[in-house]
Amino acid sequence: MPGTKLDPSSMARRVSHELFPGAVVALGMGLPCHLPGELPDNGGVWFIADSGVLGFHGLQGNESGQSAVDTGGNAVATLAGGSFTGVVDVAGILRGGHTDIAVLQPSQVSAGGDFVHWTTEETAGVFAPGSAVDMAYGASTVVAVMPHQYPSGRSNIVEICDMPVDGVGIVDIIITDSAVIRVLSAGLELVEIAPGWTAEEVIAITEAPLTVSSDLKEMTFSTMNFEAPNKVYSTALAALSDVPEGSIINVDGFAGPGGMAHYLMVGLRDVGVKRLQLISNTAGIARMSAFGAPNIIDHSILVENNQVVKATASYPVSPSASRPSAFEEAYNRGETELEVVPQGTLAERLRSGGAGVAAFYTPTGAGTLLGDGKEARNIDGKDYILETGLRADFCIIRGHKADTLGNVVYKGTSRNFNPVMATTAKVTVVEVDEIVEPGELAPEEIVTPGLFVDRIVVRPSDFSAYLDS
Amino acid sequence: MTSVPENPVGESAKNGKVYFSALSALEGIADGMTVLVAGFAGCGIPQELLRGLSEAGASRLTLICQGTWTQDPGDFTIGDLVASGQVKKIISPMPFHPVQGGPVKDAWESGKLELEIVPQGVLAERLRAGGAGIGGVFIPSGSRTRFAEGKEVREYDGREHVLELGLKADFALLRAQAADTLGNLVYESTNRNWNPTMAMAASITVVEVNSVHEPGGLDPELVITQAIFIDRLVLSASS
Repeated sequence: MPGTKLDPSSMARRVSHELFPGAVVALGMGLPCHLPGELPDNGGVWFIADSGVLGFHGLQGNESGQSAVDTGGNAVATLAGGSFTGVVDVAGILRGGHTDIAVLQPSQVSAGGDFVHWTTEETAGVFAPGSAVDMAYGASTVVAVMPHQYPSGRSNIVEICDMPVDGVGIVDIIITDSAVIRVLSAGLELVEIAPGWTAEEVIAITEAPLTVSSDLKEMTFSTMNFEAPNKVYSTALAALSDVPEGSIINVDGFAGPGGMAHYLMVGLRDVGVKRLQLISNTAGIARMSAFGAPNIIDHSILVENNQVVKATASYPVSPSASRPSAFEEAYNRGETELEVVPQGTLAERLRSGGAGVAAFYTPTGAGTLLGDGKEARNIDGKDYILETGLRADFCIIRGHKADTLGNVVYKGTSRNFNPVMATTAKVTVVEVDEIVEPGELAPEEIVTPGLFVDRIVVRPSDFSAYLDS
Repeated sequence: MTSVPENPVGESAKNGKVYFSALSALEGIADGMTVLVAGFAGCGIPQELLRGLSEAGASRLTLICQGTWTQDPGDFTIGDLVASGQVKKIISPMPFHPVQGGPVKDAWESGKLELEIVPQGVLAERLRAGGAGIGGVFIPSGSRTRFAEGKEVREYDGREHVLELGLKADFALLRAQAADTLGNLVYESTNRNWNPTMAMAASITVVEVNSVHEPGGLDPELVITQAIFIDRLVLSASS
């Protein structure tokens, strides 16, 4: 007689052992919704529900946050630092590779890691993917948490799914009410068993071949406690000291000085790293345009320091031919490459890069020089060209305030490219006027959720956007 | 909150973008149209507008929505429109509860309702593309599954991506917390859900709101949906 089957809360606690500090965790319907309740006061991980709430806990914890619903329609409350967004932005977070772990409750998982989402044995063939597809395709690790068997006794783990699948080769680890199984390229490996169970008993209720790990363990259910990783850096130099040579850097800003990370730009110059490729609305024209005094800080300081080999920009040159920008001069000397992209296309390419859209058809530029060399396509009688998503290694952005978790608010048109660029880089560094505690920014007012932000620096109050010379 | 004037007898049924009943705000909705309906798990659903749609009586509708049921049996839902025979097709990531069933499942099983199942993020992206003038997008979601059948597939970064086309509709029925008379909108909590995306993707966008303010009554930093997307507003009777 096998041991008792685990209850949802024990399963959720075992799932929580797969998390780590700062992890971004997407939660599907059903059993995954128990997870926040098992980490009651935890601000150290980001839970995401496809209903549009980021950073929340179950209502059994403290109820100070703003009420909302999770993926399953259950009432939850935001943690200090939690925020709201819409479904299209959640989809971008999920698909764009911003989640570390997706936790789903499939109805069936195959030996190859295929899965079938929300259905029942009784309603097989009636299938509801919800957001499980986006969660599964976007996350680094996919955890399936599910009963080992249907109530009828049939196994939920099968050699090949016999219902329409919602993802192919996707699941990495299966946590059931009886066991933990890893999905390896060679097949399924039983790595843990629930208390009171033997490996043979688990194999007997599993319809797919299982190999037993040489290091088979008993499942444990300790309550985890994660500390949010520190994102606050003391100086711009410290926040950018590890930028590798040849990096692609997204630099925010519109045309004038507003919304530009001047302090980080100086930091990047002082780090001195070479062969940078900048993606930015301008290639540094604030100094040469009417927007600022001649000594205002812009991209020019990087160009003059021989750090830039390429710019991708929509306003790469100065509006005045008699006052060329540093980038123009370098370009005219043959020292830099230039890719000109219309502003809306630049924004869309960045948004695509951040949201997991590899390429898109836009009407902008069709039939012009800007469409040369690009695929043209007519869709429903309209001409489009194919543009690709843009991503970066680092991104430097300018916010007004951030909390220590990295949530950012902007001020006026300083918002410009900042929110979209924040989604595009491996490492996003934000410069703000003020850092506040989580909870001081209202959930409805947060524009860039902290899960996009890796490093935060305060622009010193005595810092000037103008060079001394 | 602005006091919206009572409907003056014999005068027009609206004041600028503000309409005096859900029915009048749905003027022009016709048989065979495609209608976006916002809402997620009972939150942010335009129930007055759904009742208005029932009253308007348009039939053979194609509805695009998250789901069709709520947890509260007193709610008026898409399921009720399906039960009354107004709906020809539903495009949704989760059209009915697989265990509890309901009128949508019944209509589908008896062949009276067509269903198109689209993963949530794919549907959101298709509506966003439609609203933002993008013809189509290559995305990885659903590659090598039934969701990719019959669609063009290309490889980017060593991974299969599926071409999904932009999607637009005739009407969008939305639910917001507050509006100004120009149509700028703010939402509350997870009631935001599909509303901002759907607001971009329809020819005529109608919003049910709890309160209508004068322009300037909403903080410009907090406006989520800009007035240019919004055509008609109606106050929720339940607010």
